[in-house]
Amino acid sequence: MAALLLTAAALCALSLGTPFVAPHRIAGAALEGDTTLAGIVLTELRVPRLLLALVAGACLGAAGLVLQEALRNPLAVPEMLGVSSGAALGVAAPLVLAVSLPAAVQPLTAIGGAVLGGGLTLLAAGLGRSPSAVLLTGAAVAAALQAALLVMMVTADQLDLQLIYRYLLGSLSARTWDDVSGLWPWLLVAVPALVLCAPVLSVMRLGDEDAEALGVRAGRARLAALAIAVVLIAPVTAVCGPVAWVGFLAPHVARRFAPTATAVRWLPWSAVWGAVVVAVADVPARLALAPVETPAGAWTALLGVPAGVVLLRSSRRGRPSGRGAATPRPAAAPAAVRAVPPGPRTAAPDGSVPGPGASGGIGKQAAGGFGDTPSAPHRDRGTEDAR
Amino acid sequence: MKRRFALAAALVALCAAVELVAGRGMSPATAWEVLNGGGDATERHILFQLRLPRTLVALGAGACLAVAGLVLQSALRNPLAGPEVTGVTPGAVLGAVTATALGLAGWDSPLAVVVAACAGGCAGAALLWLLTGRGGGDPAQTAVHGVLVSAVLGGVTAMVLLVKPGELGSVVQWLVGTTEGRVWQHWHLLWPWALVWGAAAWLLAGPLTLLRCGDDMALAAGLRAGRARTLALLCAVALTAGAVASVGALGFVGLLVPHLAVALFGADLRTALPGAALVGAAVVCGADAAAQLSSRLLAAVLDAGRFALPVGALTACLGALMLLVVVRRTPNRAF
Repeated sequence: MAALLLTAAALCALSLGTPFVAPHRIAGAALEGDTTLAGIVLTELRVPRLLLALVAGACLGAAGLVLQEALRNPLAVPEMLGVSSGAALGVAAPLVLAVSLPAAVQPLTAIGGAVLGGGLTLLAAGLGRSPSAVLLTGAAVAAALQAALLVMMVTADQLDLQLIYRYLLGSLSARTWDDVSGLWPWLLVAVPALVLCAPVLSVMRLGDEDAEALGVRAGRARLAALAIAVVLIAPVTAVCGPVAWVGFLAPHVARRFAPTATAVRWLPWSAVWGAVVVAVADVPARLALAPVETPAGAWTALLGVPAGVVLLRSSRRGRPSGRGAATPRPAAAPAAVRAVPPGPRTAAPDGSVPGPGASGGIGKQAAGGFGDTPSAPHRDRGTEDAR
Repeated sequence: MKRRFALAAALVALCAAVELVAGRGMSPATAWEVLNGGGDATERHILFQLRLPRTLVALGAGACLAVAGLVLQSALRNPLAGPEVTGVTPGAVLGAVTATALGLAGWDSPLAVVVAACAGGCAGAALLWLLTGRGGGDPAQTAVHGVLVSAVLGGVTAMVLLVKPGELGSVVQWLVGTTEGRVWQHWHLLWPWALVWGAAAWLLAGPLTLLRCGDDMALAAGLRAGRARTLALLCAVALTAGAVASVGALGFVGLLVPHLAVALFGADLRTALPGAALVGAAVVCGADAAAQLSSRLLAAVLDAGRFALPVGALTACLGALMLLVVVRRTPNRAF
C-alpha cells in the first residue's frame, strides 16, 4: 500500500508539470542530464524536490511518533506543541529583520525557535497533564508565536510577506540540491539516535513507574526523546517550513496498519508514511492551481486533519491502539477521541457523562513530570476513571 | 461587588480616554480642545470620525470576546477553551479573506467584510458541530476537535492568500487583529449584534453556572445539560463572529479575560458575565492605546514613518505570558 502510493507519487512528481515527461522517458531524460530541457528540469528541480519531500516527510513522521510515544499522548504533534511555529519563527525572524545569516546557521536558529516553542508549551502544560490540556496550551502558544511572526510580517514588505507566508505552512517550491545536501549532517545525528531510542520508547508506553522498574529513567528518556524530535523537526523546518500535520497523520496511519506492534516497529513505518504523505501532498501543491504554487502544508492540513480525525474515531472500543494509556487495560476506551452517538442526549446520566476530573475518553495519566513534582497528585497507575 | 463594578467601569472609561488621545497626528492637548468644541475641521474629523468609532469598536469587540470566552469555558468546563479553539475565529478570518480575494468586499465596504466574516465564523462553528456529533460530545473532545477544525480552516486561508498574493498585505492585519481604520459603519454593525447576544448570554447565566459545576450536578438540579450547552455554544459563536468580523482575530482575549473576571467577580456568572464584558472592553481598549503609543515610540526610534503595531500583537504577547500563569495555577483535575 505504502509502496504503491509512494511509486505513484514519485512518478507524478517526476513526470507531471511543464514540460511533461512521459513516465517511460524519465530515466532516459535524467541520464541526458543538462543537454535537454527535460533533463535539466528533472535533475535540477524535480529529483531534488522529490528527495526533499521524502526526507522531510520521513523526519516529520518519525518525530511525530517520538513525541506521541514519549509524552504518551496521541495528540502530541509538532504543530500542537508549538514546536513547528517556534522553528518557523526562528527561521523567519532573521529573514524579516534583514539579518543575513550563512545557510549553515539557519538550522540552528530553527532549533532555537523549536526549543523555545516546545519548551514554552511543556513549561505551561507540564508533562503529566491530560492530552487535551497539552493540546490546548500548545494551540495557544502556537498562536502567540504565529502572532509574533505576523507582526514582523506586517513590518516587512510585500515580497517577503508572500515568501514567509508560504514558508510558514511548509512548501517545497524552488528547492534545489543545496537544500537537500544541507540536511545530511543533521540526519547523521538524528537517525542513530532514533534507532537507539526506539526500544526505550516502547517501554515508555507502560507508564513511568513500570518503565522505572525496568530500568529506564523516565524523565531523562523523555527529555532525550524531545531533543531528538527537535533535531528532526528543526532542520526540515529550516529548509521547507513545517509541513503541517504530517507528524499527526503518519504515526496514526502506521499504528492503524499494525495495531498490536510496539514503537520499534512503528517508527520506520511512521517515517515511511510521513514520506508518502508529503510526496503525495506535493503533487497537488505543484499542479492544482498552476502556475501559482500552493504550499504543500496547506494540502496536508486539508487532507491530513480530516483523515486523522477519521482514524482517531474509527479505533473501536477494546482494540489496543496507539494511545497514551498508563497500562493497556482491556476495558478502556482506546481512542483519544471517541465517537459519540449522534442525536439528543437523554436527561438520564448515562455512562458517558464525564465526572469531575475525567477528561473525556483520554485517560488521565499519573503526573510524571521530571522526577517527581511535589504538587502533582500522585495516582496509582490504572486507577483512571474507567467509564 | 458594587465597588468592583464601579472600579471596572472607571477603568474602561480611563482606557477609552487614553485611546482617544493616544494617536498620531494630534497632541493630547489638541484632542482635549476639540472635545470642548474647539479645533479646526481636520482635527474634528480625526477625533469624531476616526478615533471615537475606533475606541468604541475596540470596547465592543473586547466585551464580546470576553463574554464569549467565559460562556465557552463554563459550557465546556475547560479553563483553556477560548474562541480560538472553536473554529469560529479562523472561520471568520477565512470568510473575510475569501470575500476580499474574490473582490466581493474591499476595505471601502465594511458591511460586506463583516457579513462575510460572520458567515465564515458560523461555517467554522457548523463544521465543529458536525464533527462533535451535533453538540452532544463531551467537553474535552469538543476542544480537541476545535483545534483540528481551526487547523483545517487555517490551511484553506493560506491557500486563498497565496492564490491572491496582492491581498496579503491588508489581510495580515486581519490575521493578527487590529483596530486600524475602523469607522462609524463598523460600530453601527457591531453594537446591535453585541447587545442581542450579550443579553442572551446573560439570560443563560444561571444554567451556565450550573454547568460549571459539572453535568452530574446540573442534571441533578433538573437542567438539561446537553441543551443548555448547545445554546451556550451558539451564543459564544455569535459573539465571537461579531467581534472577529469587526476587528479580526484578536488572540487570547477570549481565553484569558474570563479568568481575570472570575477572579475579580466570583464564579457566579450573573455577576461575572457583565464583569467579563467590562474587563474585556478595558483590556482591548487599553491594549490598543498602548499599541498606538508604542507605535509612535517605535516609529520615532526606527525612523519609520508609517509603522503601526496592531493591537493583536500586544494581546498575543501578553496573552502568552498570562497563559503560563493560568495553566500553572489551574489544578490538574480541572481538565
